[in-house]
Amino acid sequence: MMKAYNLRESMAVHASRQIKNGEKVIVGTGMPLVAAIIAKNCHAKDAVILMEAGPYNSNPAALPSCVADPRGFVGAPWVADPVQMMGMILQQGRIDLGFLGGAQVDMYGNLNSTVLGSYKNADVRLPGSGGASDIGALAKRNLIIIAHEKRRLVEKVDYLTTPGWKLYPYKDGKRIQGALVDRSELGYQGGPAAVVTTMGVMKFDADTKVMYVSEYYADLDVTLEMIKENTGFAIDTSRAKPVVPPTEDELYILRNVADPEKIFM
Amino acid sequence: MVSKIKTLQEAIAQIPDGSSILFGGWTVARKPMAAVFELIRQGKKELHLLANPAGPCADLLIGAGAVKITETNFIGHEVLGIPYGFRRFFEKGGLDKTGFLHDDWTVMTGALRILAGSMGVPFIPAKSLRGTEIIDPEHDLLADLRGKSKKLPNKKVQFIEDPFWDEGELLLIPAIKPDYAIIHVQLVGDKGTVRIDGGNFLDYYAAAAAKHTIVTTELVTTEEYLQKHPELNSIPSEFVNDIVEVPYGGHPTVVHGAYDLDFEFYNKMVDATKKEETYQQWLQEWVKDVPDHMTYLEKLGVRKILALRSDPGLGYNAFLKRKP
Repeated sequence: MMKAYNLRESMAVHASRQIKNGEKVIVGTGMPLVAAIIAKNCHAKDAVILMEAGPYNSNPAALPSCVADPRGFVGAPWVADPVQMMGMILQQGRIDLGFLGGAQVDMYGNLNSTVLGSYKNADVRLPGSGGASDIGALAKRNLIIIAHEKRRLVEKVDYLTTPGWKLYPYKDGKRIQGALVDRSELGYQGGPAAVVTTMGVMKFDADTKVMYVSEYYADLDVTLEMIKENTGFAIDTSRAKPVVPPTEDELYILRNVADPEKIFM
Repeated sequence: MVSKIKTLQEAIAQIPDGSSILFGGWTVARKPMAAVFELIRQGKKELHLLANPAGPCADLLIGAGAVKITETNFIGHEVLGIPYGFRRFFEKGGLDKTGFLHDDWTVMTGALRILAGSMGVPFIPAKSLRGTEIIDPEHDLLADLRGKSKKLPNKKVQFIEDPFWDEGELLLIPAIKPDYAIIHVQLVGDKGTVRIDGGNFLDYYAAAAAKHTIVTTELVTTEEYLQKHPELNSIPSEFVNDIVEVPYGGHPTVVHGAYDLDFEFYNKMVDATKKEETYQQWLQEWVKDVPDHMTYLEKLGVRKILALRSDPGLGYNAFLKRKP
């Protein structure tokens, strides 16, 4: 039977549910923007949407195609410049939730948006951090949105662009090879709270900081076996529960308000 | 007083090969594209590009073989596709083959580096980057040039313990001190006062940080007009050396309140950059065989130009078809 919604729509809706009402959320281009607009039109009307290019408390009438699109600026009470938005508001630790994507995420929630393969002889060069690395380090909590594929959910990222839970320590300016350190030891607050994928919602164990399956899209016939097969490390599924399926309201907002032109969907 | 108003050819002709250039705007928004095309037309070489972040301004110049070094947090086209020029020069031995060098940064640290440059201080502290590979000296492609080139800081970063408030470890990051800043804006007075509509991004800091700032603009107006509301002005003439009037000089990127992103043109442009051969054909057609910006606009055509116009109140074109 044809389902009333697909995996990508589920990902957008479940990501939007991670945003709490009243939170200050800094969103990147693409799915984070779509999910933030769903949240703002459903359960989190008082969420404050920020973008690194400047929009502050954005409430766009049309989906911005990037964080510098005039569509994100219209109707905002203030427009920051990136020194203000990133160097001040973010660096002061005032942002509740950073909402990020990337090409790879590892078992500790570290993100890679720089290279696949080795840095100096890369298989694929990606555009680079943008503001993700700063947001991953300095927001109170982070949310990651990524397609659930074995090559994307990996044991160790090819390049650590954006801090998750376990980071690379340095001594005398040089990286200590093979070592990992808790982000808190570097003075960073928060950390990734969830990874929302096309198969479910992953969270991180409070003690080990390793990713596990928290909820999965049983409503779309996703099984825990499928999640294991499509994850690049042995992921714990013992705590997994079926998700509460998207509501008609959420799907209506996604399709008719957030991204009716299907820019990102 | 000598007039600051120049033609695009004159303004770009003064830039020597090897110069460092900081572009204003943001990825696919308000990028000084007419100036970028003129840099390619004039056959500039060995350029050192800075932008926070970069879009087609860097990708097209890299692909054209005009670039030696980039220092930026991002080179991409957002939803409009893959930066093929950057990828060709970086991937699979490309760095070794071409001698192209890239230095990875982040939006916040790049912004703070430009802020430091604008204040005339040599460095500034930042709380991010620690724990990541962005600061790994093993990945520092500019290592061999540091301490030798005057256009580069001697080190990428310096760890420091907060000596004042005991807030722990953080990084000092070097100021950006570009030879040139090139920004594209909506309105400039005839002596150089700049008024930017919509997001200013880092253009004010860029103009202040650069030794020489070239402002390309949709329109030149009188200083008297801009003086009626000085609070709306973005950059003082103090930081502006050259004024160049180039209507649609940001095309195909979006210029707030003037015109929207030209998705149709942009998609074709990115498709053309996919292969060296097709990109050279595209450059021939849209840059090299086009003697100047006015001819580029004639080639674009009046229908396209009118169809892209933005609602000045909304800042964008509400009826633009964004998907093919």
